[in-house]
Amino acid sequence: MRIAVLNNAVPFVRGGAEHLADALTAKLREYGHSAILVRIPFCWEPPTKILEHMLACRLLRLPEVERAVAFKFPAYFVPHANKLVWLLHQFRQAYDFWGTSFQGLPDTQEGRDVRECIIRADNVYLAEAKTIFTNSEVTARRLKTFNGLDSELLYPPLLEKGHFSCVDYGDYVFAPGRINDVKRQRLLVESMAFCRSPVRLVLAGRTETKVDADRIQAIIHAQGLEERIEFVDRFITEEEKAAWFSRALACAYIPYDEDSYGYVTLESYLSRKPVITCDDSGGIHELVKDGGTGRIVPAEPRAIAAAMDELYHDKPLARRMGEAGHSLAQSLNINWDRVIEALTR
Amino acid sequence: MRVILATSIMPFVEGGSTQIVGWLHRQLQAYGHEVEYFQFPISESYSEMLEQLLAMRLLDLSQHGERLIAVRTPSHLLKHPSKVVWFIHHYRSAYDLWGTKYQTLPGTAEGLAYRTAIVNSDNVALRESIRLFSNSAVVRDRLRAFNGVSAEVLYPPLLDPGRFSCGSYGDYLLYFARLTHHKRQWLAIEALRHTRTPVKLVIAGSPDPGVEPYVFDLERLVEKYDLKDRVSILPRWIPEDEKLGLFAECLAVAYFPFDEDSYGYPSLEAHAARKPVLTTSDAGGTNELVIDGENGRVTPADPELIAHAMDGLYDDRKLARRMGEAGEARVQKLGINWDNVMSRLLA
Repeated sequence: MRIAVLNNAVPFVRGGAEHLADALTAKLREYGHSAILVRIPFCWEPPTKILEHMLACRLLRLPEVERAVAFKFPAYFVPHANKLVWLLHQFRQAYDFWGTSFQGLPDTQEGRDVRECIIRADNVYLAEAKTIFTNSEVTARRLKTFNGLDSELLYPPLLEKGHFSCVDYGDYVFAPGRINDVKRQRLLVESMAFCRSPVRLVLAGRTETKVDADRIQAIIHAQGLEERIEFVDRFITEEEKAAWFSRALACAYIPYDEDSYGYVTLESYLSRKPVITCDDSGGIHELVKDGGTGRIVPAEPRAIAAAMDELYHDKPLARRMGEAGHSLAQSLNINWDRVIEALTR
Repeated sequence: MRVILATSIMPFVEGGSTQIVGWLHRQLQAYGHEVEYFQFPISESYSEMLEQLLAMRLLDLSQHGERLIAVRTPSHLLKHPSKVVWFIHHYRSAYDLWGTKYQTLPGTAEGLAYRTAIVNSDNVALRESIRLFSNSAVVRDRLRAFNGVSAEVLYPPLLDPGRFSCGSYGDYLLYFARLTHHKRQWLAIEALRHTRTPVKLVIAGSPDPGVEPYVFDLERLVEKYDLKDRVSILPRWIPEDEKLGLFAECLAVAYFPFDEDSYGYPSLEAHAARKPVLTTSDAGGTNELVIDGENGRVTPADPELIAHAMDGLYDDRKLARRMGEAGEARVQKLGINWDNVMSRLLA
């Protein structure tokens, strides 16, 4: 089949969605389909730009394409008679972020109008899809609550998983991934000041803005944590990531209300490492069992520090939880056979 | 530098334009730049053109990157404060093909309105660019004539000319191109029957979708003139190693397309392998590269005259070598290399 994978693109920013789009395109080809990845620029400042991009998506065409698979707002607005949506998340500023500190959209008449347009367009155009798949129960629930639309759960697999392994349970907690406000690495850095053990933190990933980087550096210096935090502010390769995982004590992943289980969680389990997360981290809870495969603690520095200390002092516990995570990951049946079957049926 | 590279594509079709941009992408990265690469699918159907042009205007990249390089139409409609356009062809139905049998816009008031809208939007977008390049003199002249803008000719290089080498100046001419009627492989066969030397011909390349009758015609022509011992046709995709071998051992490269915009990669590949190019005076862009008697031969599209040029090269291999080597120099003289492309596009 000739398939187009549609995703948004914010130039020079790469995260889980970009990774998944690349992976899906490559896998579709591996399974014998012709696939192209169509990346559509997206920009939300000022908010009226959002409306222009929604319109642009409606105006784009997909000649020669027999099936479209779209991931994100507003890429899923591109018209196609045989369109599937694999929803990673909607434009959250208009939905669950509205009324929180992550709202983004201004609470002005204009901001409210933009929000209204987004919701209405989602109601109409998402419904065009032949099937909507979601990447997590959280995303599915939101879609049902806010838009009244049903969906089918389809967990995204990792592109390759053979390179993850466990060598040792070392003296550091590993926190990989894109660094920004919503991922809350700052909270993690603040927590380190409250640790009683000499546990270290390896924070690795590209900061989204210079402000994100400066704030983290400021906390490190203010608290004198230079020796205990390794801050690798750049894109890290798969190999580097796997190497850090293999010798980590545990993984920390504490985003605010994430939609999906998070690749980081799965990668940690494949490396047999427990996951420390927070009780407001959203979809991560679909995979993390508190006390079983990791720790779920309040989003508060002392609680996070205590969880790190506990694992530092009890490495057999870290190992037990990591092993349990590994078994859980194996049992979920998250694999490409299943994804390709669902998206090409 | 953070560079946004944008182009349009016909999904699932590879061609010269996808190569220009794909190779530019790889070279930008090789030169140490951070690149965001956008390939927008575009329907060429005229009735869907205006909404797609509007979409290009609405997608906002202006907050990112220090440079936007837009290549295939209509990606040049994207807005950016530091936009450079490397223009490779118009939506030709609204331009030089208007009024010919190749025109796909209807010749009605509606068609004319589409044509006007397309030309007007090009006029606006091209003038926004801080620098405008074309891939050939033909396209530069069209930009001048139809849009009233001046472009600098910037010839697209091969991805990696260093892969080609010269082994010998053998006994065959190589015609390496897609098999399709306007490439005129048949003219090479027609010429071969008029040669007095035993020079051979190898025709190699992927048939365009749906041109099986054309390939069949070529084979029939070979049979009709009883040239089976001297002509080989390889109607398929040629793997890289086989291709390099064919170029390394050929006497010269034959390339007789009808009125193309640009010089065509086979000519460049010939010179990368230090082989002369045999072409015709109606081939279009190839005439920007090949000077008769210097780095190849240019003859009218007449089988007997072409045959005479073929014999000349066969009889005098030293001449073939001299022209092949001059070809390399000619390529450098025209600035067909990535150092030059980088410095012009990023200046």
